[in-house]
Amino acid sequence: MWAKLKHWIEVRIGLEELVNRHLRSYRTPRGANFLNTLGFVALIAFIVQVITGIMLLLYYLPHPDHAFQSVQRITNEIPYGWLFRLIHNIGSNIIIAVIIIHLVHVFFRVSYKRPREVTWITGCLMFFLVLLTSITGQLLPWHQTGFWQTTVTSTIPAFLPFIGEGISSYMRGGEFVTGITLSRYFSFHVVILPVIISALIGLHVLLIRRQGISTSPALEPENSNIAKTEFSCEEHRQGQPCFPHFSLKRLFMVMIYFVVLFFIMTFMPNLFLPPEANMPANPLMTPETIRPAWYFLAPYQLIKTIPNDLLGISLLALFTIIFTFWPFFDAKEEERNIRKRPALMGVVLVLLALWACFTVWGMY
Amino acid sequence: MKRIILLQTVVLLILFIAGYSLAGTRETFERHFMLSPWSIAKGETSACIQCHTSDNMDPEMHAIVREWKDSWHAKNNISCHDCHGGAPEDASMSMMHQRGFKGTPEDIDIPEFCGTCHIAILGNYLNSGHGKTFNDTAEGPSCVSCHGSHDIQQASMDIINEKLCSQCHTYDRAKEMKQALFFVENKLSNVRENLGRLQLAGIDVGDQEKSFFRTHAEFRALFHSIDVEAVRLKSSDYTKQLEVIEGDISRAFEQLAFRRNFSAYLFLIFIGLSIVVFLLSKSYESK
Repeated sequence: MWAKLKHWIEVRIGLEELVNRHLRSYRTPRGANFLNTLGFVALIAFIVQVITGIMLLLYYLPHPDHAFQSVQRITNEIPYGWLFRLIHNIGSNIIIAVIIIHLVHVFFRVSYKRPREVTWITGCLMFFLVLLTSITGQLLPWHQTGFWQTTVTSTIPAFLPFIGEGISSYMRGGEFVTGITLSRYFSFHVVILPVIISALIGLHVLLIRRQGISTSPALEPENSNIAKTEFSCEEHRQGQPCFPHFSLKRLFMVMIYFVVLFFIMTFMPNLFLPPEANMPANPLMTPETIRPAWYFLAPYQLIKTIPNDLLGISLLALFTIIFTFWPFFDAKEEERNIRKRPALMGVVLVLLALWACFTVWGMY
Repeated sequence: MKRIILLQTVVLLILFIAGYSLAGTRETFERHFMLSPWSIAKGETSACIQCHTSDNMDPEMHAIVREWKDSWHAKNNISCHDCHGGAPEDASMSMMHQRGFKGTPEDIDIPEFCGTCHIAILGNYLNSGHGKTFNDTAEGPSCVSCHGSHDIQQASMDIINEKLCSQCHTYDRAKEMKQALFFVENKLSNVRENLGRLQLAGIDVGDQEKSFFRTHAEFRALFHSIDVEAVRLKSSDYTKQLEVIEGDISRAFEQLAFRRNFSAYLFLIFIGLSIVVFLLSKSYESK
């Protein structure tokens, strides 16, 4: 029966040839480790968000009078609705952590260099869009935390001269957070941003497939004599086949992703749902502390610390631009092994330490 | 060719009709939903608060706002105009009697003033020893004697204390009342605490809170009759009502336990799977 079914599929799509060409013959670099799989884990995390998001969308009502109640109904009345809501809530934080680690890992391996500049830029853009998806998603349950976080985050762009007020006003759809804001954020969260992210994922994966997975300069030095003026795919003939070797590493890391997810869900289910997240939005009652999500604590504290708001937000904007287009700023330097570039390594480590310090500082 | 023209005409007609019908819907939608006053403006533009916190006002006027902000009323969105009337959205007309402004009530009017909202309590109070004395002498205890005015806090058994009650009479009878209230009050306090815990855990306790509020309000209204016997007689009814809520609370805690166990089950499954995949991965690497 199984053989017949396999043959039926084989005749129609040539599955065997497809697997051979794209998985068995496709080779990964020698020494590719578990950290190399983080991009794939982020992809799976995104798919999990999409699936759970669709489940929530079936019952969610994007209206100020009904949004909170509909989320309460999902959590308490719909069978296993709590499971989907918690996976979506905790997963949205894990995906950001995974992308951050992935970006730091890629940066330390200096894998962004020619010809992978566009791969790096699409990765950065996806990271910013995932953050934006997270911001827009916070308002949807229409609880106190989301309402006031949105009030604060939508005020931040207003510090920019000339265009700032316009951006803030566009984000809110007016002067204050209203039903228009909810409607706008809902559209961005469930359609516009996921579609753009999906398109960027497609481009990112296509580039990786065409160029080959980047090598570790320490384990498999690239042949620097080859002038990269023409297209060439790194075939990694000495490396391992993608299937089953690298695929199992990927699968292991995906399992770890779920282990972390369910660990948080079991022992700290309200880690990302503070007490105010269980109270309906009340525009008349400001919570005692309005704190952004953990991944925004560093920029939030930076803006709070720098006495001039314009300077603070300009610094952030400048940092974001340099970070996104770093491959072009770093184009002249040929060396790919970061251990041989102490200045760059030092700056990155200091920036990471500062980011961690500002995050911890922002909690208090 | 004719078919294509016909098809195009039908599509255009459908689009035109859909657009025409949606235009009206959109207007209604904008009027009733998009522009509804879901904004922080409501609180910020209260003329009462703006004026009472301005530099031109005496410090004691500032204290009124400060006390109100920490009060149980403020926590429940009861603002100045809810008691004193007026038009908080319009500074120039905010204290006009034509706009319903009542101002500060005379002492004798205080029970009616508070009773505008606390209707059941007013009835029991007026028929009680406290209310009758107040009506006869205009000096007996009114609402503010026990609860204060702007700094009103959530009422509790602590209000019945020797210091406060012995200002007018001996504490014996008040003590007897406190003992009669004790069992139901204790239950009320436990139920409130558990409802709070469930709400923090993300459980929807809206119906239970409504039921609790009703029982709580009725019991508190009964207390204002200052009739110890009536309180004792009705206590079993309130206990039954609270036990129904306690049943719901117990089921909600069971649901929370189920969620934790289910998550733990998934957690263990994925730990097992990750170990299997890791070993499989290592075995392929060694080949």
